[in-house]
Amino acid sequence: MRAGDPKLTERETKSGEPARVFYVYCIAERGPTSALLNDIVPGAIEADGALEMVIKDDLAAVVSSVPASEYGEEALQSRLDDPTWTALRAMRHEKVVEHFARKSSVVPLRFGTIYLERAGIEKMLRERNADLRAIIEHLRGREEWGVNAYCDRSVLKTNITELSERLRELARQAEEATPGRSYLIQKEIEALREKEVRAAVKRVAGAIERELSNYGEAATRLRVLKDEATDHGELIAKLAFLVDLERFGEFRAAAERLAREHAAAGFQLELTGPWPAYNFAVDG
Amino acid sequence: MADEALELLEENELSLLETLDHVLNRGLVIAGEITISVADVDLIFLGLNVLLSSVESAQEAFGKRGARSVIDDLNRDK
Repeated sequence: MRAGDPKLTERETKSGEPARVFYVYCIAERGPTSALLNDIVPGAIEADGALEMVIKDDLAAVVSSVPASEYGEEALQSRLDDPTWTALRAMRHEKVVEHFARKSSVVPLRFGTIYLERAGIEKMLRERNADLRAIIEHLRGREEWGVNAYCDRSVLKTNITELSERLRELARQAEEATPGRSYLIQKEIEALREKEVRAAVKRVAGAIERELSNYGEAATRLRVLKDEATDHGELIAKLAFLVDLERFGEFRAAAERLAREHAAAGFQLELTGPWPAYNFAVDG
Repeated sequence: MADEALELLEENELSLLETLDHVLNRGLVIAGEITISVADVDLIFLGLNVLLSSVESAQEAFGKRGARSVIDDLNRDK
């Protein structure tokens, strides 16, 4: 945004920046996007700039104008420090992308993609046409589902003897052994218990990912949040799956089966979605 | 039993934290002009860090229950 940048136009303010810039939500095919824009659309990220399209060839970007004073790089970074400001805008972003994703194949963009000018968006659509089309094709007829797996470690710990062959064997030995020997075996059991709990968490998380991957493409994600304890216990895996619309029934049934299978040992599954394919809008 | 073990979060039952996670952490990253035009440094990367810390602070600020107030704001928003 240097003064004298040839890209800047008549919309410039005295400081050399345009007064309005463009917030980009998602990219999709021109035809369906145009139809969906004529439906009742959700509110744009800022009330003073309505949703509109920027079209280049067969692609359309869904955008709205926003004040540069709030969405310029420095301004945006400081706004992001305010959780309420960010949360509201993130929800608006999501509502807009959902509107278009529900009935067409869209490439969802990350929060905060800003262009100074329409021409910049057109240029991007033209230059990246092939990549964007490939992503749109890949996502067609599919939706993203999130699976969060939680573990209540105290429940798991009390049940771990059931789950571990080695612990069961030691418990049996302890019962039959002399008191002195039994004491030593108990010590060994205690030491092993923690190790087996960790192994069980890993095993179950792996089983969930493997099993559900049969019904879609999986992406494993790490949790951002540092404090991982929730009402459901500790988050042990956060997964995202790209599931064909017609296979969702099977996917859900498999998730329910896994949930039942591991519930007694202290595990819980949470299914979220359908999401626009945020995790699968990967640049080829 | 199955329904208790597997909690399906319905679409209109907003999960703010999940949404923040999706919208701020994921999605295709296309460099906007703003991040490119400022300087030669890789500001896109910087931007992502800012977004990450923003998700964290929002998550810390709201927690699962505190999300309610923002959802109320959002409903008024319509």
